[in-house]
Order: sequence, then C-alpha cells, then structure tokens
Amino acid sequence: MNRVIAVYQKELLVYFRSPIAYFVVAVFLVGTGYFFTYNMFLSGSASMDETFRNMGILILTLLPLVSMRLFSGEYSGRTMELLMTLPLKTWEIVLGKFLGAVTILLLMTAGTFIDLVPLYLFGNPQTTTIIAGYIGFILLGMACLAVGQFFSALTQNQIVAALIAVPVLLSFWFIGHLQNFQVSHTLRGLFAYLSFALHYANFVQGLIRSEAVMFYLIVSAIALTLNAGYLQWRR
Amino acid sequence: MTRINTLPRADAGTSKQVRSSTALEGPLLGAFLLPTNLMNSPTPAIALESVSKRFGSKTIVHDMTFSVEKGEIVGFLGPNGAGKTTTMRMIAGFTTASSGRVTVAGFDMATRNEEAARRLGYMPEHPPVYDTLDVTQYLTFVARVKGVARNEVRAEIDRVATACRLESVLRREIYKLSKGYRQRVGLAQALLGKPEVLLLDEPTAGLDPGQIQETREVIRSFGEQHAVLLSTHILPEVTLICQRVAIINQGRLLAIDTPASLQRASEQTSRVLLTASAPGDALQTELLSIPGVIAVTTRPVPGIEGMLNAECQTDTREGVEAAIARAVAGRWNLHRLERQQPTLENIFLRYVSQAPAEARAPA
Repeated sequence: MNRVIAVYQKELLVYFRSPIAYFVVAVFLVGTGYFFTYNMFLSGSASMDETFRNMGILILTLLPLVSMRLFSGEYSGRTMELLMTLPLKTWEIVLGKFLGAVTILLLMTAGTFIDLVPLYLFGNPQTTTIIAGYIGFILLGMACLAVGQFFSALTQNQIVAALIAVPVLLSFWFIGHLQNFQVSHTLRGLFAYLSFALHYANFVQGLIRSEAVMFYLIVSAIALTLNAGYLQWRR
Repeated sequence: MTRINTLPRADAGTSKQVRSSTALEGPLLGAFLLPTNLMNSPTPAIALESVSKRFGSKTIVHDMTFSVEKGEIVGFLGPNGAGKTTTMRMIAGFTTASSGRVTVAGFDMATRNEEAARRLGYMPEHPPVYDTLDVTQYLTFVARVKGVARNEVRAEIDRVATACRLESVLRREIYKLSKGYRQRVGLAQALLGKPEVLLLDEPTAGLDPGQIQETREVIRSFGEQHAVLLSTHILPEVTLICQRVAIINQGRLLAIDTPASLQRASEQTSRVLLTASAPGDALQTELLSIPGVIAVTTRPVPGIEGMLNAECQTDTREGVEAAIARAVAGRWNLHRLERQQPTLENIFLRYVSQAPAEARAPA
C-alpha cells in the first residue's frame, strides 16, 4: 500500500504543478455556479436537482481533461520506463493514479458546497436528497475518470486521449434514450442498465439504490482492470 | 579468444535440474521450493540465456547469452540501432524477452519481476524525470517506491545527491535544469536504495568533460561492490572504467572479454615505429632481414640530416620489437622505438563491419 500512496502523492504533486487541474476546477465551478444561479434565482427552484443534472453533463466533458495526462503524459515524458521498471505492480500504478484523479474530483465537488449557502438561506432543501445527489455525482465522476484513464493508457497524445474519452462517455450518458426505440424487452433493459444518466437520475431524486452504486463501481473496476491488463500486455 | 562468452554452466545446469524436478517427489522437490539465488552461489548479478526479442517479424536481439558478476563493470558497445537499448530494457523488465531467460540477482524477470526490480537501479537513455517536480520531490517519490523507509529517505537523497553533485539544485524544478543536471538526476534515481545491479544506458551522453569525469568516478566507485552494465558509444569510456566489454551489432553479441584480451586477440599485424641515424637502403635491408618484419617504409626526418623515420609492419610474434631494437642499435644510433597497439576503436570497427555469420564463427 505504501507504493500506491507514493504513486498517489506523486500524481497530486504533478496535478498541482500543471495548469490543467486549476483550469478544469475553475471552469467546472464557474459552470456549476451559473447553472445553480439560473435554477435558483431565475427558475425559482430552491433545490439542487436541476443543478446536479447539469453538473453530471459538465463533468462528462471536463473529467477527460483531468484523466488524459495520467498515462499519455508518462509516455510522452518518457517516464513510463521508470514506472514500469520500479518495483511497482501494474495495479499499484493504476490505482495510485486513479486515486490522484479522484482527489481532484473531490476538490471539484467540495467547491460546489458554496452553492449550498444561499440554498439553505433562502430555501428549505432536503438534506438527504442533496447527500444522495453528491454520492451519485462522485460515483459518476469515478466511472468517468476510470474510463478516461484507460483511454489515456492507449495513446501517447493527451488530446487524443481526451477526444476519445468524451464521446465514449457521452454515448454512455445518452444510451438510455435508445430504449424508446426498442421493442425488444432485453435490449430495452440493456440500454437502461448501461445508461450513466438513468442511474444518476436515481441519486438526484434522493434514492441511493445498491444497483446504481454497484453499476458505477463495476464500470470503474472494469476500466481499471482493463487498464492494468493493457499495461502488463504492453511489456 | 572468446568470441561468445558462455554462462557458468553450473548455474544453467542446476536450473534445468530444478525445472525437471517438478514431477518428482522427495528431496528434489525441496530444492525446487528454494529460491534460485540460494541454490546457486555465487549467482551472476545479471544473466541472459539465449535471449531473443522480436517485434512482429523483425528480430531485434538474437540469441544473446552473457552474464555480469558482482563487483564488475561491463561496457556494452555497439553502433546505434544495434540492440543495446532493447537488451537493457529486457534486463530492466520494461519489455519481456520473446524467448530465453533474463535473471537479475537470480530472479527471473518473467516470473519474479518485482523481486528483481527491487535489486535493480536503471537509468534509461532519456532521463525519466517529471519536469514540473523539483529534484527532492522526484527523488522522494522514487525512494519511497523502492521501499526506502520514510525516516531514511532524507539521508538517502543526500547520499545520492552528494555522489551526483546535485546538492545545489535539490529544490529546483527539473524543467529548469540543464541537460547535464537532468542526466545526473536520472543517475541519482538509479542509485537510490543501493541496488545490487546498476543498468546505465549512455550515462555520460550530453555531459561536459568535467561532469563526464565525475560521473565515471561515481560509476567506478559503485562498481567496486555492485554489478554495473553500461551502454555507450564513447570508446575511451570503456577502456577507462570497464573490466569487460561486450560488442554487439545487429542484435548479436560478437565478443565479450577484457579490453586487453580483445586488443591482443585482434592483433593480426602490428606496427613498430622507429627513428634512427642510418642510411635508408641499409636500414631497410637490415629491418627486412629480421624474422617477423613484413614490410618497411622509411622517410627522412625533416630538418635533420641523416636521420630517418621507419615504419615496420610486423606479425604478432613475441619479441619482434626487441629484435628490431637490437639489430638497429647494434649498427647505428637508435633514437626512438615504439610499438603501436590497435585501439579499441579499430577493434570495434573490425567487429561491427564483419558479417554476422562470419563474426559468429569460432575464432
């Protein structure tokens, strides 16, 4: 575990010394602030529901910018040779990096807490619904990062890594809509199950369903396993 | 001469015996359970057994076999694209061998990668540094991963920083460092954790003469107790710090031996130069009458009347230069006599210009 922590700490140092993390956090907070203000003061709804939905789409497009450098940056900086020859197992590299990226996600999440101040001042929101929404948001973010990290391992070019991850994640978000065009019950079920958006909607409504929690954890686990497997195969 | 060095066969024999014992019961099974490094003593620090590497249909490294012992510095010499870096990467565990076996401190890179990696310091051709981190942060990361205890990290970094003369830049971001310093940061990370085996891929590339001198000293002192394999195409470097030289070309090991033995073995003809006060024709006749002298050319020394420079082509028999000295000094005044050794450069060029098939034929 010490080695995972060492990789994690290195990732955080690298993140905080590059402008991308600051840029992504800033864009996310400005975007969330805009949606929150719009929903709260212009639409007059004193809840986080709509804001959570907007935040979901927003991180789908922003988190690939966080995950894109995780491996592409190591390839292009020629540091992969170091990582792969140090006494590190591939899963330790993958996990340490993932935890580093998740920390950025948690910082982004913490930044949105400022929106709760006017919410509690002017409205009477349901705390449990908000907590469920945040849990869903973090789980969704973790799945996005894991998928983005896997694509980052496939290419030396960070931009390419992000450009592949964004449409893939958006497809997972919108795949739920396909069930409207299906007569086959199995396919309808499959599209609904694969949809990032439909599982997320549960959390936004205040429901923490174990199926939805497991879905995001399984997606993350599959992406991280593929990532570690790919690195091992690449030797 | 030894064209292709073979491994100490006892080692290979034992490992074969061990492998075949898997189906047996009794005492042999006990031997199977012992780590290889306890069974064979002394275990070579690095051992390659018939190692090949193929990328698709292209073979980069052909059937390479050699070993490096503890306390030995071996120079890996070859032109660009000879397979030096690929071989280094296989020993370091960055890529796996397509066939054959690589062991580091007795641990098979294919199956015991992590144990091997713990005993290995590797400096790739391009220093693997994180530009945005400062030197201390970078070295701390590597030290922690290498298992240096938290309270010893500081002292360990100070040790390698002193050895690599990095004290003045420890707090500087790596992207601000000159090429020479980056190179030394790369060397410093390899030295962290006092590894048993050090792999250095062109460690002095891009350094100024002073830095090259310092880096060689670091490697030399490290090599006294550890095994070092360093690749280079700077030939004098090899003669200065390496006990043995491995010459490779087109992915094949052409020769591995001490620089002196390589020099001796490649002397098919050598040259003796002399300066004497003598008449040209008489000197030439006298020299050609000496057994072993094949050809003689003479030239007058500019500005000095009656003095000649002579160059003799001789075969490699012992004492030919002494015979020349006796013959000339007995009749005239001999001012200078010198035997020219073939340089490592010539030997290297001779090897790499040979066709692979010819080079592999036993000498």
